[in-house]
Amino acid sequence: MRRREYWILILPSIFVMFGLLLIPIYRTIEWSLKDVNYGEAGTFVGLDNYVRALTDPRFGSSVLFTVGLTLSVMVVVIVLGYILAVLVNNLGKMRPLVLGIILISYVIPNVVGATMFSWLFDGNFGGVANVVIGWFTDHDVLWFTETWPNRIMVGLNIVWAMLPFSMLILLAGLQGVPREIIEAAKIDGAGTMGRHLHIILPSIRGMVGFVAIITIMDVLRVFDNLIPLAPNAVLNGNETIALYTYNMAFQDGGQELGLGSVINVLTILIMLVMLIPFIRNTMKEAKSA
Amino acid sequence: MIRRPSKKAALAVGIGAALLLSGCGAGSRTQDKNAAEVPCEFEAPGSATTVNVLAYNSSAIDPFTNTLVANCTTDEVDVVHEPVDFAGQVQRTTTTLAGAEGTYDILETYGYIIPENAESEKILPLNDLIDKYGDTYGLDELSPSMVEAMSYNGDVYAVPMQAQMYIMAYRKDIFDELGLEPPTTFDELRDVAQKIQDSGEYQYPLALPLLASSDIATAYDSALGSLGVDLVDHEAGKPNFDQPEAIQAFEELKSLAPYMDPQVTTFDQPKVQQQMYNGDAAISIMFSGRMNDLVQESNSPNFDKIAFAAPPAVVEGGKQYSTLSVDGWSIPANTSLDEDMLFNMIGSSVSEKASLAAIPAAYPARQGLVTAENSPYGAAANDAIENAPAAEPFPYTAKVSNAVRPVIAEVFTGALTPEEGTAQMQTIAQKVLDAE
Amino acid sequence: MTAAAEAIIKGPRQLREKRRRNARPKAQPMMSGLFLAIVCVAMLAPFIWTLLSVTKPTDVAFANPPVLAYEPTAQAFVDLWQTTNFYQYLINTGIVAVGSTIVALVIGLPAAYALARAPGYVSAILLILALVFRSLPRFAVVLPMYELSRQLGIHDTTFALGAALVAINQPFSIWLLRNFFVKLPEQIDEAAMIDGCSRFQALRRVIIPMMGPGILTAGVFMFLFAFQEYLTPLILTDTKAQTVPLFIATQLGQTLPMLQQAGAAAILLTGLVVLFAFIAQKYLVAGLSDGAGK
Repeated sequence: MRRREYWILILPSIFVMFGLLLIPIYRTIEWSLKDVNYGEAGTFVGLDNYVRALTDPRFGSSVLFTVGLTLSVMVVVIVLGYILAVLVNNLGKMRPLVLGIILISYVIPNVVGATMFSWLFDGNFGGVANVVIGWFTDHDVLWFTETWPNRIMVGLNIVWAMLPFSMLILLAGLQGVPREIIEAAKIDGAGTMGRHLHIILPSIRGMVGFVAIITIMDVLRVFDNLIPLAPNAVLNGNETIALYTYNMAFQDGGQELGLGSVINVLTILIMLVMLIPFIRNTMKEAKSA
Repeated sequence: MIRRPSKKAALAVGIGAALLLSGCGAGSRTQDKNAAEVPCEFEAPGSATTVNVLAYNSSAIDPFTNTLVANCTTDEVDVVHEPVDFAGQVQRTTTTLAGAEGTYDILETYGYIIPENAESEKILPLNDLIDKYGDTYGLDELSPSMVEAMSYNGDVYAVPMQAQMYIMAYRKDIFDELGLEPPTTFDELRDVAQKIQDSGEYQYPLALPLLASSDIATAYDSALGSLGVDLVDHEAGKPNFDQPEAIQAFEELKSLAPYMDPQVTTFDQPKVQQQMYNGDAAISIMFSGRMNDLVQESNSPNFDKIAFAAPPAVVEGGKQYSTLSVDGWSIPANTSLDEDMLFNMIGSSVSEKASLAAIPAAYPARQGLVTAENSPYGAAANDAIENAPAAEPFPYTAKVSNAVRPVIAEVFTGALTPEEGTAQMQTIAQKVLDAE
Repeated sequence: MTAAAEAIIKGPRQLREKRRRNARPKAQPMMSGLFLAIVCVAMLAPFIWTLLSVTKPTDVAFANPPVLAYEPTAQAFVDLWQTTNFYQYLINTGIVAVGSTIVALVIGLPAAYALARAPGYVSAILLILALVFRSLPRFAVVLPMYELSRQLGIHDTTFALGAALVAINQPFSIWLLRNFFVKLPEQIDEAAMIDGCSRFQALRRVIIPMMGPGILTAGVFMFLFAFQEYLTPLILTDTKAQTVPLFIATQLGQTLPMLQQAGAAAILLTGLVVLFAFIAQKYLVAGLSDGAGK
């Protein structure tokens, strides 16, 4: 491909991406060094905002919680997604129905899905999950105030929302696995588990990686789910980084753009660290392709 | 499915599409039946104009908003109000006032944030317009104290439409059955709650809005106010969290915890309403604008068992456990529309006829309008408004309250002792004051 | 013909064969069927609960303990349709989702093609930058965009919202589309160009038509992302360009009837999306097996 052609083809996309995304990033970095309100120029304060964020224990614990949440959701979503993909792949006539049902939770807006989800656990709205639990035990689970029950509920909600994506991608991967590979494994006498672990999974490595990237990106910035699900997030240590940003900078019509931007910059850095393996992979692949 | 669409599916999609495309009947009814029919007259602007109104939706605000929209829309002037929740209104007030131009032309606002926006000249002083149109809309009958609550440094920045203060709603049937009287102090409240709890019908008889990320600050402020102490000593420019009452307020609030749901720190006002609708709680204290909902037959099977009283005082002889908040209309400084036109719209929506139509959903800002006859909680409201702690109309009040809120929540849940908490709050609040 | 297109046409028969091949002792399909059924119910539980709540009479809609015997009513839906501008929000959401999807594809396709056909450092760096853009916190993107849209005088328009979503979703779309192009043999381009097409003509007339399922897959994702976005419209719209997710969020925490209407709105939105999901799922899988994350 000629150079000129390459650039003609690629420029509109670069223009849109860089034009609309690079300016915001530049602005974010600029604001992170300033004391600034909406629509004002602000005053330069150097690294003050960074010091403020980094010395706040709440920021540290929100980073820990978010990273932990991200990693555990990622594992659950991949394992469960794979099992579901295998099962759905074996379905016949029921396949479109089952796929359609499983897809729904992925396409509903987070804030709406999370609110519906919270009604299942909130006695003030019927709390059907509590009724079911009540059949087995007299113990009231305090889903919204106690740290671990709340974590589990939040985690369940995010898995609920992300599972369809994972299953879909892994299902697509499974369909690309040549029949011979599976057959060959059978002839070797490998058990079911072994066949999946050693033959099929490695051959859809790429898909698993793709699910991992997207899950990391999306869970690391979880925000709107927590509004209905974790009203006590600050008290019980279940504040995500994005929620921390919101609480510190923008709640109650606050406009601490400087501090908010600092946390955004730091989030980008955390994200980059978590993406290093994928970045290396892309570099290698693009060079050799 | 794709290759051979079934006839039924095609039909369903067809009907759906037709409905969608035509928008048949969409938006054909107004939301509220208690919008009054009042004259709204202003000089025609001469060209097609859109007036954007920012006001959060709630039972108490809606009548005024709906009256404004219904009566002031003409062929030429389109008055637009899109539904928004309270948090959305707060967020949008900040953004629309930030730049040289904003989206909104009429803002719903409240006493708490007026000083801040008035000081930065983001909303217009309305004194001249009030003089000019006072007679037309009977504005001299607005309660002077509520006009005062909408003022900053001697200028009026909003036309008050209504007041909100805490009211206590309780289950008359339970109280009668157990021979209880509505409590007038926290002591009595604990006593009554204990008796209801002991009767075995209610595990958690009391519900207060104590949402840790919002309402709990108002609750603490109310308790402190009831003990006769402001958040800030405004003369000395010092927070009052080093006063003994600051600790006492915590102890009193915490003493109610055994009678409340263990998840009460997640309750906002709608959830407290749910507690009453569902019969999970027998006593609740929240803002008056939420009260009329409780006695609507369409909302709850318990609608006819609710009675109202003024909230108790924290200690005998003190002010009531309450916060007085006045809502009003203001005009943003960055609107491009004619101020006279906007003021006429505001005036018509708070006129006597419009205000009467807002009862009992709201407690209008006109003197003597609400009575025990025209509002189920009228007597309680008239008592409550007399005995509520005074508001603190300073630009930093809201900031102080927001800044110390996380600590208040931590003390209430027991993560901090009241002593530790008040010490931290004193430091945090002092920082806010120093920055002003 | 691409493998994906082939898969769509031959799909059902292949599947049937596969099922026969995978025939196992009876117990296992029973177990897996049961497991799938449980998962389906769990995935649907919030919707079922909401559907029940919005078809109950308001006074028992959220009763505790829940009321299960009731006379269903569609009043919440009627109220939603007649007393709010739900229709307008739906139109806005549709315009933004469709518009931003089309633009994202028109811009993304050539770029993805170039990235696939001309590997090297430049392409690798661009792809990594796209990855970085995709992972930006939404606040970091949207707040500066708010300022920008105010300055340009396009705040609170579907145009501004659509443009923002095109940019936000561009990285995902070029990544996905690039992976589809990589799988398409380069000989096709060459054959077309020998026949006298320029590269651009070859792309437009020959290659893109062969990418059908891939483009559809990318389009479906773009559409869904735009359809469910919350934070971007929250900041970039006020009154004129509000979308359905935003509307639903503002109805929550209000009065009981409004809460029920919010539930009704969520159910309607879900209904539309379910319809869409059922139509799209076959293409999605067909397209994805060919493309994503190789």
